Amino acid sequence: MRLGPCPFAVAGLVAGLLLAPGDVAVAQHWPTEPVTFAGGRLLIGGDASVTFGSEDPGWFTYTDYETSAIRRVRAGVTVEARASDRVSFLTEIRAETGVGVIPYAWYVRVSPLASGLVDVQAGRIPPVFGTFARRSYPQDNPLIGSPQTYQYLTSVRPDAVPATADDLLKMKGRGWLVKYPVGDPEPHNGVPTAAAERWDTGVQLRIGPPALEGAMSYTVGSLSDPRVRDDNQGGQVAARVAWHPVPAFSIGVSAARGVFIADSVKQARPDARQGDDHQRAFGVDAESSWGRWLIRGEYVVNSWAIPPLDAPRIVDPLGSHSGYAEARIRLHPRLYAAVRGDVMRFTTVEGSSGVETWEADVSRLEYGVGITIRRGLLLKASVLSNWRDGGRVQRSHLGAVQALFWF
Amino acid sequence: MQMDGTRFPGFLRPAAAAAIPAVAFWLACSPLSAGADGAIRGTVEIRRSQSATAARPASAGLGAGPRRPVEFRPAVVYLDKAPGGAFELPRPGRAAMDQRDQTFVPHVLAITVGTIVDFPNSDLTFHNVFSLSKTKAFDLGRYSRGKSKAVRFDRPGVVQVFCDIHSHMSAYVLVFAHSFFAVTDQAGAFAIAGVPPGSYTLAVWHEGEVRETRTVTIPDSGGTVEAAFVIR
Repeated sequence: MRLGPCPFAVAGLVAGLLLAPGDVAVAQHWPTEPVTFAGGRLLIGGDASVTFGSEDPGWFTYTDYETSAIRRVRAGVTVEARASDRVSFLTEIRAETGVGVIPYAWYVRVSPLASGLVDVQAGRIPPVFGTFARRSYPQDNPLIGSPQTYQYLTSVRPDAVPATADDLLKMKGRGWLVKYPVGDPEPHNGVPTAAAERWDTGVQLRIGPPALEGAMSYTVGSLSDPRVRDDNQGGQVAARVAWHPVPAFSIGVSAARGVFIADSVKQARPDARQGDDHQRAFGVDAESSWGRWLIRGEYVVNSWAIPPLDAPRIVDPLGSHSGYAEARIRLHPRLYAAVRGDVMRFTTVEGSSGVETWEADVSRLEYGVGITIRRGLLLKASVLSNWRDGGRVQRSHLGAVQALFWF
Repeated sequence: MQMDGTRFPGFLRPAAAAAIPAVAFWLACSPLSAGADGAIRGTVEIRRSQSATAARPASAGLGAGPRRPVEFRPAVVYLDKAPGGAFELPRPGRAAMDQRDQTFVPHVLAITVGTIVDFPNSDLTFHNVFSLSKTKAFDLGRYSRGKSKAVRFDRPGVVQVFCDIHSHMSAYVLVFAHSFFAVTDQAGAFAIAGVPPGSYTLAVWHEGEVRETRTVTIPDSGGTVEAAFVIR
């Protein structure tokens, strides 16, 4: 695990914030609330987490080639500057081992109506699709790992594609480092179905009361590959409708369609059929809670269209179905237990040796506990059991602990 | 020293964990006076920022969310040691702390030991009231509008209350073992009646800390003693 200086810099920044003379008396106390300045017009929140887990030789928990979700140090600072009651500027800067410092979010939010029924956000914005990527990880995540839909690296890349179905099948079960003959020749990790580690850039509109709200966005990247700069002269349209018929239950549907394949691939093979460059996804999510229970889940049907090049050709879009269900029960004011089950299944392609799934099916069961030491300080421990229908390591049982502080 | 979010005067620090000064009432009562009861009245001017508890910057939200009213955050004025002989507590009653517009109302509730506090939910969203305080740790779970759950506070101390769903919601319940306390009103005024003659330490608590203490004396003839505080 690489530990660069940047995380420490941000951790230092967070520590500095704890001692900053804001409106909240933080100089002598460990804050449980955001630090505010200028009568509440400038809010600063922060979080820091240290996660240590087992070695993961099967790369089940990696979010890119160098970073495992169960072996990292992360610190983040979130700032909201309210220029007026209707206009705010928000930014979130994160630093973590193996990644460095990332401006995770930076955007302007305009709420034109006093009723708050309409919001427009522009910049590097939260994803409209699904729910998990908008949970302010890690304090809203009852476990340590992420759902596979949002984390597991498949063998699909936006900047390099297989020329044949056999090229694709050779990469099955090794999404952490993928190499294809068309496009970028350097090996690089593949993408998850929906990225939660980075946000896309564009504009988003939200309309409606909390009981029934809709949101739509146009961004330069795609669900799997959010971007700051466009790499393919095509954007993504995503939409979501969420319904809360009663406080105890909510259901949402999401859809996204965007250009996924980079122009560099099209330039490498100008003979490729035009239009086979999209990612499409449809998702359903639900959440229910009562008493000490919280249950939620998502299901996503996704496909990546890549250009059919040489024989044996990849004729159909590369499809996947994935979903998770998780439950949390609070056993004591300081203690909860949680469990999550994950599955990812993939469609088939026909290679030289027959028909098989283009990527190895994968499943995960994660269960663990969280102990609140004090408000804003949480310890978690979990066990992640992973199974994969292919690849070098086909099953792996991992353990992880996480200390998390936020304000 | 900070304990459950509250600072106590030095002589009370050994008093255990959860003790707010009222505990000392049971341990170190001053001699009982035979004169006429008096009263302590005054004001607490709060010059510190009174902005509402801020929600964490909602960078992951699709919108701004509902706007919340500015909370009134009063001070609590109380006798550090209760008068000797004042052993008779008023009969524990019932009090309520509402959850309205994603805010606990009132923000500060001062009660005597044994009081049952109802936590009704008046919002359209779920709430989950809980406390990790040593004085009273509890978790009421999630419940919806129109429902209410209750907690009996059977030990003196300070209990900081939160909502597990809305991180910006917080409140205090101060549980006293005597009845010589008052919560300031919107104008900052307070009044503690029925105080027997004697010298007392008057303490002002605000947002988790004792901000100031002062000695006041009720003469044998009774009467009203005035006290004015400024919290910066």
